[in-house]
Amino acid sequence: MERRQRILVIDDEPDVVSYLSAFLEDEGFLVLTASSGPDGLALAREQAPDLITLDITMPGMSGIEVLTTLRRDEHLNGLPVVIITGVTSFDKLTDYRDVRAPEGFMQKPIDLVQLLSTIEGILDSPG
Amino acid sequence: MQIDETSALCPGKVDFGDILRATPCFLSVQDRDLRIVATNENFIQTFGDAAGRYCYEVYKQSENKCPDCPVERTFLDGKKHTIEQLVVLPDGSKIPIIAYTAPVCGPNGEIEAVVEISADITPVKRLEAKLRESRERFRLLFEEVPCYISVQDRELNIVQTNRSFKEDFGDYVGASCFEVYKHRGEPCLKCPVAATFHDGKRHSSEEVVTSLDGRHIHTLVSTAPLKNAEGEIEQVMEMSTNITQIRELQGQLTNLGLLVGSISHGVKGLLTGLDGGMYLLSTGMEKNKPERVQKGWKMIRRNVEHIRSVVLDLLYIAKEREPQFEPVALKELATLIVEMLEKRAEDLEIDFQVELADDVGTCEVDPKSIKESLINILDNAFDACRVDERKDSHFVRFSLASEGDDVVFRIEDNGMGMDRETREKVFSLFFSSKGVEGTGLGLFTANKVIEKHRGVIDVESEPGKGTSFTIRIPRVRDQRIEA
Repeated sequence: MERRQRILVIDDEPDVVSYLSAFLEDEGFLVLTASSGPDGLALAREQAPDLITLDITMPGMSGIEVLTTLRRDEHLNGLPVVIITGVTSFDKLTDYRDVRAPEGFMQKPIDLVQLLSTIEGILDSPG
Repeated sequence: MQIDETSALCPGKVDFGDILRATPCFLSVQDRDLRIVATNENFIQTFGDAAGRYCYEVYKQSENKCPDCPVERTFLDGKKHTIEQLVVLPDGSKIPIIAYTAPVCGPNGEIEAVVEISADITPVKRLEAKLRESRERFRLLFEEVPCYISVQDRELNIVQTNRSFKEDFGDYVGASCFEVYKHRGEPCLKCPVAATFHDGKRHSSEEVVTSLDGRHIHTLVSTAPLKNAEGEIEQVMEMSTNITQIRELQGQLTNLGLLVGSISHGVKGLLTGLDGGMYLLSTGMEKNKPERVQKGWKMIRRNVEHIRSVVLDLLYIAKEREPQFEPVALKELATLIVEMLEKRAEDLEIDFQVELADDVGTCEVDPKSIKESLINILDNAFDACRVDERKDSHFVRFSLASEGDDVVFRIEDNGMGMDRETREKVFSLFFSSKGVEGTGLGLFTANKVIEKHRGVIDVESEPGKGTSFTIRIPRVRDQRIEA
């Protein structure tokens, strides 16, 4: 299946990056990866992917900060974001209340079927 | 005999007849033989017509006069007398009375008779008994209440204490509160007793005090002013409740909560890693991609190792055991660790450099916990390399050497390094810089183990450059026994 849509995976955990990129490539997407918030933002600016999957707990810049930066950037604020996290604390997850909520939200361990349908739902929706 | 003018009742001057007859107590007039000459209505109603009979016959149903008869004494000295005694009513019951006597003098000033007025003081006696009982109850309450009570004066000197206080802090009436409670030479900075003396209000605070046997006791202290009849604060009462158990329980619950949160967080990361490994393994086989199979297999193995160490850390925390010291050839122990970790280093393409000096010899350690601690720290070093994408190649150097009286393990890596905050918190329970991967248990337990060997762990680290852990353990165990 060739989709040629590009997904940027931002996660500091190499195992998760390997896992997600293998799965998404198998599903026909082009996958870009970054292991930190700043690297991910740089890649997003440079490559303008169609969707970002974003971890929350990362050393240095957290996923919440990445989301906030994306939403406040006039060139990037339309980019759909799917949060993939092990964090369950409500406080930590709603720290982004100043900006538009992420388009998708997934808990670790990852349900691949649900992940795929979430991504497809977002990419297929108009606008 | 000289009559006391002020105390004499002189019926000749004022006619008290009606008043005396109607007075609501027993009134009798007696002659020198203690024979009743006249009585009032109340007397007659209770004892009947007793004129001509002896007072003690009527009042006491006795044949002999009372030993300290007030009537007799008034006849002797002409003064008024008062006495409390029991009288026997015609039905045999006894009532307490208070009797007042006064002389009745004739025209020439001689005592002709003595008037005795007796009032039933049963209600008074009942009240007195109640008062005594409630006083006793209050005393019991004060003594037996299950908290520490001290009454203090303005100088914070202890005036009175209850039994609990005496048991745990000694019987130090007169000593100052801060000496007894805290072994201090001067008053505490924020003293609730002083505050109550100042504003007359109740104050409370939480204090840690030290008992006679050296235990630290958490107390919840509240104070109340004790005022005199003029409303001035003379003393302050301080009541301290021992909340040590609550505080300990609270600490344990907090830790338990953190532990559960931290574990579930860590387990999610490990499950994701396992899922990922299995995905790569199975799809690699399906698609006949040996590289993918190998990558997946390594991921599974590494995550299983992680789970193993998390479980071991948990067991260590759940049941903190005393170290079992025995002489251990440290080079052999280190070699064993190297053999266990070589494969892991290879999987991660980390250059695992080992330098074990030959002259280290044996040292009394708990081999099991030392081994787990070193593996923990080495694992952290591997992980710091694994997640660092900024360098092309990584190394972890593990060395063992003898330095003076110590044996020294050193674990260095050129992984991602730590900033100052991470470095300072690195041994804290539940602190993890590793996102979902870390539980914050590993280095905490490692540090505990080294502390039990009276050793120290030094950490040097720079973000982006790498980290070095130096574990120093005194070689001779005797030196490790604290002075």
